Formats: sequence, structure tokens, C-alpha cells
Amino acid sequence: MPIIQTDNLSKVFKVPRKDPGVAGAVKALFRPRYDAKVAVDGISFTVEPGEIIGYIGVNGAGKSTTIKMLTGILMSSGGAVRVLGRDPHRERVANAREIGVVFGQRTQLWWDLAFIESLNLVAKIYEVEPARYKQLLDQFSEILELKALLRVPIRNMSLGQKMRAELAATLIHEPRIVYLDEPTIGLDLIVKDRIREFIKHLNRDKGTTVILTTHDLGDIEELCQRVIIIDAGKLIYDGPLSTIKERFGKFREITFQLAKHDSTLQPPTGSEIIAREEYQVTLRFDRTLTTASQVASAVMSEIDVVDFSLSEPDLASIVKQIYNGALEQVAV
Amino acid sequence: MIQSIRRKTSIYGAIAAMVPKEYSAYSIWVWMQFIVQIISMMIFVYFWRAVYAGASTLGGLNLQQTINYILLAQILMPIVETRMIFQFGFMVRNGAVATELLRPLDFQGRFYIENLAGLGVFAIEKLPLLLVAIVFFGLQLPADPLIWGVFAISLSLGASILFLFDWIFASLAFYSTETWGLSVVRVGVATFFSGALVPLTMMPTWLQNVAAALPFGQTIFVPVSFLSSITPIANAPQVWLVQLVWLIGLLILSRWVFSRAVRQITVQGG
Repeated sequence: MPIIQTDNLSKVFKVPRKDPGVAGAVKALFRPRYDAKVAVDGISFTVEPGEIIGYIGVNGAGKSTTIKMLTGILMSSGGAVRVLGRDPHRERVANAREIGVVFGQRTQLWWDLAFIESLNLVAKIYEVEPARYKQLLDQFSEILELKALLRVPIRNMSLGQKMRAELAATLIHEPRIVYLDEPTIGLDLIVKDRIREFIKHLNRDKGTTVILTTHDLGDIEELCQRVIIIDAGKLIYDGPLSTIKERFGKFREITFQLAKHDSTLQPPTGSEIIAREEYQVTLRFDRTLTTASQVASAVMSEIDVVDFSLSEPDLASIVKQIYNGALEQVAV
Repeated sequence: MIQSIRRKTSIYGAIAAMVPKEYSAYSIWVWMQFIVQIISMMIFVYFWRAVYAGASTLGGLNLQQTINYILLAQILMPIVETRMIFQFGFMVRNGAVATELLRPLDFQGRFYIENLAGLGVFAIEKLPLLLVAIVFFGLQLPADPLIWGVFAISLSLGASILFLFDWIFASLAFYSTETWGLSVVRVGVATFFSGALVPLTMMPTWLQNVAAALPFGQTIFVPVSFLSSITPIANAPQVWLVQLVWLIGLLILSRWVFSRAVRQITVQGG
């Protein structure tokens, strides 16, 4: 029995259209005209209990709009959505009781109050049993290292501290579904790691279903078995992460900083030069044919290298490649 | 049923308890408002003394009644200067409304409880001002606790009426986030027609009619009239009935408007 089900889900926003200049502004004042902007365009998918799903796409693809419809904040313009058997917009309050939502750039906590005060109130609102609350508070404090933060007002917290506090507050009522909208945006590696561990722990120990939107492919790789990719409001891929990894994880790029100008370098086997500047050269190699260290040592034996860095393909390039037919043989 | 009421009391009680905690964070603002209010009380007292120099009664009120009325009205005036309409616009524009809608609470109920708790904080906060008015400006207050009780009930009803009225206009924020102008006009109109500047009974008949058609008088003029002995407490049941009609009418209308407006919501970002 799926826990979330969307069927041809759509959202169209009305955007006021303004012609440029003062005349345009005046015209818009007397006769406002609207353009229809399709943010989500006929998306269908189902989610089973206990899944962790990476919901990804470039900026403006419609990720957050979908999440907002699933959480009941936005009413859909078309299609159907059911979460835990309910229409989340019509039964917003009942739905809110069973879900937890983190928007990476906002806080649900009281800005001027000590974190523990906010937490106490949230626990009260969701009617968490006092004994259970204490137990969870201890547990969360340990995993997310919150002990020192309990007395600190939210406004005095750093971004990483705020996100940890936010996660604890969102999950203190043990929601069955958690929506995480960019939970690791702007965070350093240590905090990212801690947050990923926490999400894994929730999923493993409590069977919490997690829908995660992110730009960070590291998050996806660490947490998700299944990804849904959307672009321009349409679903372009829904399937296992491993397929994506096989198709696009094959290539790595390696960039060398050079001590002096060079134009003689020949790419080692299994790699090709994709960019060459005065003191920098970038190669792409196929991981199934060679390794980073082989490429690096081959290059370094030929020329004088000051520094080098390795990078993975990013989301935008994956989406572009999917458009170019890279996934045609994969069932969507 | 009793179980459900107990649960709700516990939840909304906890929300109400947050209000004073948040409030203390802005203490400088409280002192500033004190000074402004003391100055305006002084101006009003001298103004009315000058007006009464050539008359013993105006609009059926003698000087002491008018002074009592105007001092109390001045102390209570900040109640009609609520920022909810503006606050909604702000919340919709910066997207904070998303997190508010995600709480498993009745949206209106939650804001109402906060509003009511704010009124409690307000009452305590204004006590020193009352003392200033008694000692320096000759405010005379009734000793009969019954009058105070009647006043307290009609003030709570009046504040609730104003809350519901504002709720309807605040809901417009879901259609157009620019509610600042509306908010400014609303405060101006409300200050005048609530009777915070002039007792409504002193206005010409046609203005009194306008005032009666608006809910603002229910918040300042009606309760203050009890406390300054303009309205005898024998009239209380009648006055409360009128207030209840306002309350129920606006409650139904405001919930209907909100249920329509919330469908319009577009949350910025993403």
C-alpha cells in the first residue's frame, strides 16, 4: 500500500504580466493581465513506506512546488494527490500531524526564544508523551550534538547549528513521512555528515519515509536507493540510483594546475583532454577503463604539476545528458 | 468531548504562554510607547480643559467624564493599532506562511489565542500608565468591581471583534501581498471611529451612524464608556448582545473568506 500517491499532479501559477516601462506599469494597474506559469506538469509516482527518495532537478524545475502540494500548503491545479490516504490540502491539519517538513532556508522555531523553549512548545503542539519526549530529546541531543545549544536563542545560532536544531524540532513527534527540502544547503562537510547519519538512523530504526530534495549529489548517493528527476515540471526519470550511477558515474574529471605552460601533453589511455588553458589542463576519464591515480601519475611523469583536483559530474550536466538521449534504453 | 477540550486547552495554553516570553525581547519599544502615550495624554487633557472653558457639558458629558473617558481611551488605543493585516502580507511575501500552515493547528485559532494572550500582556504592561493618569492627569476610576467586570468582558469581546474584522482583510494578503497601504488606512480609520480621539457621542449624528456601522467602536468606545461611567452597567446585557451579534457574524464571514483565500496561496521560492 503506497504511502504517497500522485496521479497526473499539476500546478499552474498565475503570474502578472507587465510590459516594460512606465506605460506598461500603468497599463498593468488598470488592466492586469496574467500569464499561466506551469510549475508542475502532470507528475505521477508512488512512494512505499520506508523508502528514501531523492527528488531532484535544477533550480525552478518544480521540486519545491511538488513538496508544497504533498504537504498540503498548496492546492493542486489538476490531478490527484493522496498522502497517507488523505487529500493533504483539504485535510491540512490532520496531514500536518503525521508529517515533518524542513525547508532548508526557513525556520519553524521561535527566533528570539531559547531553543529548548521552542522545542517544548513543538512537543506540546504535537502532543508528544512527556516520557517519550525526554527519551527522544536525549537521543537527538546525542546524535545531533545539541546539548550545548538548548539554551541558545535561534537567532544566535550558526547555519549548521540552526539546521540541526530544525531537524530535531521537525522530528520530535516521530512523523511517518519527512520532507527535507535542501537540508544540507550551505553546510560544511562535518555537519552534512552528521545530518545524513541522523536521516539514516531515522529511516533504519523507525521506518520513516523520507523525500529529499537537494542539489548535492553526495546526499543522494549517501541516502537514496531511488531517485526521481524532474525538469521543467515534468518527470524525466524515476528509478534506481544505481542506473544513474552506471550511466553518469562512469566519468570523472581531473584538473591539473601546471608550473609552466605546456602544449605537448598526450592524454593517457582511457582519458581525453576536454580543456586546456595556459596553466591548467582538464581531462575526463572513464572509471571502468582507468583510475584517477593512473591518470594522475601518467600526467605527472610527463609534466610539472603544482596541484590537481578531482570532480564528479554535477546534476545540471546529468539532466542535460538525459535530454540528449542518454537514458533512452532505461524504462522511465 | 471533555478529553478533547482538555487537549485543546493544553495545546493552546502552551501557545498563549509563549507570548509574554517573546514579548520581553522588545522592552525598549515598550518604554518608547510609554513616553509617547504620556505626551499624548497630556495634550488631550489640556485640549479638553480648553474646550470645556466655555461650557459645562458637551454631548451630555461633563468635563470629568470626558477626561476620564479620553485618558482611558488613550491608554487602550494601541489595541486598535494591530499589525495583523501588514503581518500577513509580510508572511506571505517572505514565505514564512508555509511553516505556519504546516503546524497541526487551526490557523485562525492559533492567531486568536496569541492575540488574546497579547491583550493580557498589554493589560499588565499598561498599569503604570494608569497610575500616571490617576496621579498627574486627574483620572477618576470607579470603585465598584462589578463595573470593572463588565468592562473586562466587553473589552475582550471588542478585541475579538476587531481581530475577526482584521482577519478578513488580512486574508487579502493571499491575493495581493501588498497589504501595507491597507494596513495604514485601517489604523487611521479605526483610531478615529473607535472613539480613541473623541467620544463617539460627541460626533454629529451622521458620523455616529457611520461609526455604528463599523466594528471599531466596540473595541474602545463601548468598554471605556462603562469604565468612565458614561454607560450605566444596567445596559450591559444589551451592549453584550450587540457585541455578540458582531462577533458571530464576523466569525462566520472571516472563516469563509480564509477558506477561499488559502487556496490562492503561492509560496515564494522554489
